[in-house]
Amino acid sequence: MLRLTLKGLLAHKLRVALTALAIVLGVTFVTGTLVLTDTLNNTFTTLFSKIYSNVDFEVRGVAAFADQQGAGAVRQPISDTLLPKVAAVPGVAASEGLVGGYAQFVDKHGKAITTGGAPTLGTTFGDKPELSALHPVSGHGPTGPTEVAMDEGTAKKYHFAVGDRVKVLLPGPPETFTISGIVRFGSADNLGGATLAAFTLPTAQKLFHVEGRVDTIEVATASGADKAAVERDIAKILPKGVEVVSAQKVADEQSSAINDALGFFSTALLVFALISLFVGGFTILNTFSITVGQRTRELALLRIVGASRGQVFRSVMLEALVIGLLASLVGLGLGVAMAVGLEALLKAFGISLPEGALIFAPRTVVVGLVVGVGVTVVSAVSPARRAVRIAPIAALQGVQAGTEGNSLRRTVVGAGFGLLGAAALTIGLTAPQISLVGLGAFLIFIGVGMLSPLVARPMSSVLGRPLARLRGVPGRLGRQNSMRSPRRTAQTAAALMVGLALVSTIAVFGASLSKSATSSVSDAIAADYIVMASSQGGPPSGFSASATQTAAGLPGVAVASPIYAGQAKIAKSVTFIGGIAPKDVGSTVTLRMDQGDGPAALAAGDLLVDTTTATRDKLHVGQRLPVTFAETGPTTLRIGGIFKPNIILGSYLVSRTTFIRHFAESTLPIVLLIKTSSPATPAMTTELTKGLASYPNLTVQTRAEYEKTQEAQVNQLLGLVYALLALAIVVALIGIVNTLMLSVFERTREIGLLRAVGMSRRQVRTMIRSEAVILSVFGAVIGIVVGTGLGIALVTSLKEQGFTDLVVPWGNMIVFLVLAGLLGLIAASWPARRAAKLNILEAIATE
Amino acid sequence: MTMTDTIDGGASPTGRPAAAAVELVKTYGTGDATVQALDGVTLEFAAGRFTAVMGPSGSGKSTLMHCMAGLDTPTAGRAFIGDAEIGSLDDKALTQLRRDKVGFIFQAFNLVPTLTARENITLPVDLAGGKVDEDWLRQVTDQLRITERLGHRPSEMSGGQQQRVACARALVTRPDLIFADEPTGNLDSNSSTEVLEFLRRSVTEFGQSIVMVTHDARGAAFADRVVFLADGRLVDELEDPTPDAILEKMKKLGG
Ligand SMILES: Nc1ncnc2c1ncn2[C@@H]1O[C@H](COP(=O)(O)OP(=O)(O)OP(=O)(O)O)[C@@H](O)[C@H]1O
Ligand SMILES: [Mg+2]
Repeated sequence: MLRLTLKGLLAHKLRVALTALAIVLGVTFVTGTLVLTDTLNNTFTTLFSKIYSNVDFEVRGVAAFADQQGAGAVRQPISDTLLPKVAAVPGVAASEGLVGGYAQFVDKHGKAITTGGAPTLGTTFGDKPELSALHPVSGHGPTGPTEVAMDEGTAKKYHFAVGDRVKVLLPGPPETFTISGIVRFGSADNLGGATLAAFTLPTAQKLFHVEGRVDTIEVATASGADKAAVERDIAKILPKGVEVVSAQKVADEQSSAINDALGFFSTALLVFALISLFVGGFTILNTFSITVGQRTRELALLRIVGASRGQVFRSVMLEALVIGLLASLVGLGLGVAMAVGLEALLKAFGISLPEGALIFAPRTVVVGLVVGVGVTVVSAVSPARRAVRIAPIAALQGVQAGTEGNSLRRTVVGAGFGLLGAAALTIGLTAPQISLVGLGAFLIFIGVGMLSPLVARPMSSVLGRPLARLRGVPGRLGRQNSMRSPRRTAQTAAALMVGLALVSTIAVFGASLSKSATSSVSDAIAADYIVMASSQGGPPSGFSASATQTAAGLPGVAVASPIYAGQAKIAKSVTFIGGIAPKDVGSTVTLRMDQGDGPAALAAGDLLVDTTTATRDKLHVGQRLPVTFAETGPTTLRIGGIFKPNIILGSYLVSRTTFIRHFAESTLPIVLLIKTSSPATPAMTTELTKGLASYPNLTVQTRAEYEKTQEAQVNQLLGLVYALLALAIVVALIGIVNTLMLSVFERTREIGLLRAVGMSRRQVRTMIRSEAVILSVFGAVIGIVVGTGLGIALVTSLKEQGFTDLVVPWGNMIVFLVLAGLLGLIAASWPARRAAKLNILEAIATE
Repeated sequence: MTMTDTIDGGASPTGRPAAAAVELVKTYGTGDATVQALDGVTLEFAAGRFTAVMGPSGSGKSTLMHCMAGLDTPTAGRAFIGDAEIGSLDDKALTQLRRDKVGFIFQAFNLVPTLTARENITLPVDLAGGKVDEDWLRQVTDQLRITERLGHRPSEMSGGQQQRVACARALVTRPDLIFADEPTGNLDSNSSTEVLEFLRRSVTEFGQSIVMVTHDARGAAFADRVVFLADGRLVDELEDPTPDAILEKMKKLGG
């Protein structure tokens, strides 16, 4: 039986290759993602341990919020009087204080140097080179208040050299420094795209508003000292709120913070890989169904000569196993290539990574094989079971392949899957529980896939009618061919259905998000201008507080109102809290109150909470909430009012005075809202931009421009998701190619006959193409219907989260439909050519 | 072309040939495995006549037919349909020729399963984008007694009915020549007689030219002329054949 299976596979190399291709793509994506993230993980872990290789301990403030630990935790600076005390601990060979903060270089053309999301770091360059992670490659570290050291990456890219003057944007007003040296960060010329400005300790303390304090003290022990004893001795002299930890721990914290971020990225990619594998599963299912159908006679003959049901089942499953294994192995190889390619791509985008070997972990091999083989084998179960049910007598009857009708059982099971999926989706959306939502969608797709044969015939008939009219006999034949086997049509279309359903869901989601975002902009902002630090798509970064005064002093500016945001622990969770001047409410932001008087409450030092949070946590006006600030510690704030969700203010709001009182002086505003005395004009925009020219990182936008930016951000995200979903669509197209190919082979005789009685090659091609277009449009229609439904469910469930508008972009849907038809045409081109080239004689001679 | 024209054409059997082969050679395979399926066949099929081709199995009957109908390309020699030399035509012209000038009836699998009988019959006309001559269609289907079956699909018809639909399709364009390769090979004797009688009648009444490959002496006897092939050569022929005369000849050929 094994020999027979393998022989069969060899005899159908093309079919095997096409079937496998669907799986190869999925496994490639899975493997590539895993290899890339493992490699990056390893790279960063090595990098951080190198950076801390000269340091044994770090003294730092304890995490301000107990449930927030690691590299991302908010920590208070510590007094620099600790420096000599730590240095005096026996066994300490060297120690120095470090201070970090916001510092952004301005290039030679006056433009702020942006990074694409990576931080723009300001730090200290210590006078103890043996401790420092920074190594000068030319020049030397800064020695006075007018000197700065620049990272090699930035220096190279923007052509700075030792001795050049460079402007640096800071929490306070921008200042100009002389470059004293170019430095490396560990072994890399930069750290994942971040820029680095290093100052002397006293300069940094002044620039970052932490005079008399440092963020951390790095400690190296003398050789031969008992490290555990030194750590204990340091701990003894530390006041409350300060801790000493091993450098290894700090390195681990930092690399795990980066790895967590990478993990998110990797999970996202894996989800798309799994989607395409799921779509590939439909293709496998379909191919095996068709081939089992075509081999009915052969399989029945096997049964006649004595093969048991088990043997027939196993032979089909074995075929799947072999195909799955082959495909997964190829996918593993291609995945490694993909990881290399992606890494090169990251480098091309200027995210320079430290050199590191490619990590091809055993886990990657296992996951790739299990997923690839698993999907193939599972998809083959149903066709194999059908093969088992073939009666021996079928060998003697001229059974026409693929004319089976609709079984009641499949309808019932399909409906069951659909309902189960809808239930899981509902629970998942209300909980909310993303994995349940995914499971729900998955089950719904399977259910719809099983039910769609019911509508395949009538729908193909309707969809094919215009083709039959326009394209004459070939169109009519194509239409009839697509109606021949509803199950085949439905299964082929199902793959595309899944792809388009996801695309449509995203379309509904995105359009609603866009609309909600823009309508909430006009709902939330009364200011004429919105000023923000350009962050190139990354999270909004802060900017110099002094920009506010500059803006306020410009002619035509009525109000310049900075909005602050910082982390605090409110009730039980660490979250963001915003700060705004009460007198600016109304003129720059629109605060629509559900309860209480907003400005009055703010002025009274009360906390305002938005409706979503108030409903979720059952909060009411007058209640006192425990709030812990990193700087000032625990306190309670009275809820003075509840406001409708506001895009720019977040969930919790206090007055600017209250905010400043509880946060470090160095905290930066994130948005500057400007109300002008007359409405925004291009002249006014120019005026403002010029007036703020000393802060080149700031972009001045009118409200309309800001709305557009919001919309553009949503669209950019959508574009990315579409691009990733394209993979699933490609797999679905391979499925269509595969089905058409199999159909062409199956109908060799028929095509030969048509050619003999006078069908031209072009007409043959038209016939196959018509069938493909009907197939794909059928899949697209169902997909769009299902996807729109999913999208509506999703958006509706997110109403409380600010999805105030539900938009179904019908225009887009029509575009998708047309695109699906075009993709069908593309998928048909090869099978159509193949069919047109069939040798008539051989076709007629085929038994 | 009106029907009278056709009948007139058919009334002079000695007129221009409907098809002709000149020194036709067809070789399959290379080296030791070479098979000389046709070994220099020269013959004419007269217009308005019914010609049967006979010969032992493997003698090259089907090959001759395929080469003369433009379904296959000969290794050497020339084949004509009317005035057109098949070797000089590209695929497009050949397709047109098959569609408009030639009709086919095969032994089996003559019909497209997704099309109804009527759609199968009018297929060549529809493919050409032409208009079906309803009177002619009616006349043919009436003769073949399949008029009531026109709405049925092949799977809903008997083998004999299917072959009669194939006959109707071959006739619907009033082609210069119909090639039939063992059209009754799969039929019982009643059904074959029906088909053969119809072919005979279409020659006599409508002046249709027909070439039919057959193994059956009784079937060949319906023809005006029988040509005999053996080992790829034209070895004998018989005018106005009777079954006995045919059997006699076949015995000599050892078929
Ligand atoms: N495609 C092919 N490749 C190789 N040899 C072929 C091919 N087609 C036919 N032949 C050979 O050519 C010779 C003539 O075949 P052909 O089919 O014309 O015979 P036939 O007279 O129609 O026989 P039958 O009465 O059995 O149908 C045979 O020897 C056959 O084996
Ligand atoms: Mg033959």
